[in-house]
Amino acid sequence: MSVFRNVDYYDIDHGRDRYSYFDDTAFEGTRRNCGCGDHCGCKSSHEFSNHQSVESNFQSNNDAFELQDGAQLSWMDQESAEVIWVKESCHIKVNTTDTQIGVSLQAALQLAIALVLNISIADGQQRDAVSQELTQQFNMAQKNKQKILIYNTKDANVTTKDTDLAINIQLMLQVLIALVLLVDIL
Amino acid sequence: MSGQPPINNKVVEVLVKSVLSKNGVKADEVKRSIPEEQKKMLREMVEDLKRQVEEFQQSQKEENSE
Repeated sequence: MSVFRNVDYYDIDHGRDRYSYFDDTAFEGTRRNCGCGDHCGCKSSHEFSNHQSVESNFQSNNDAFELQDGAQLSWMDQESAEVIWVKESCHIKVNTTDTQIGVSLQAALQLAIALVLNISIADGQQRDAVSQELTQQFNMAQKNKQKILIYNTKDANVTTKDTDLAINIQLMLQVLIALVLLVDIL
Repeated sequence: MSGQPPINNKVVEVLVKSVLSKNGVKADEVKRSIPEEQKKMLREMVEDLKRQVEEFQQSQKEENSE
């Protein structure tokens, strides 16, 4: 418990059952705000209900945090953001890459991989396991954020590039082709 | 972005293969279970996507060299 010494309570989500634990050390000398019968004034029968946890989370404890286990999800996620400020400048030429085509291509590839898995593996559970594992192997969470500030400048060229997307797309195509080769379609 | 794939093709193949076999998917069974018509459809889809990706890479390359 020493790890959570300065934390009033924490939550663990075990599948559907939800447990909350209170760290005694943090409550020493203070009145407990939980619903437990012994040491505090509350008479709630649902001592550690979900609702109360949330309440104490927002009302009395800013340091609360949640521990979760269980489902491990993997997203093929990609985000690109670009901000270019041009301030007190003139003759600035800005070239940015339009990622629209790339993003839609990526979605198409994602769909195609799912489709091939769908057709080739009839068992739903098995299919989910395979697709989850595949996306996990190629964990494609990417964030690409660029901020450019141009200030007090004259006659400048600005070119931005986003190469992440291109690599990602290539990789997904490779996975798709490998899958299709394995089930003898190509 | 050069013409080289980011990860060696063989590596991806081995990886996909191991994931499938680990989850008890037998390639031979799958091969037999998919009707020829569906195979043709998938083949066309993959070829089409392949072409699109190549076009995309090409356009990226052109933009980079500008």
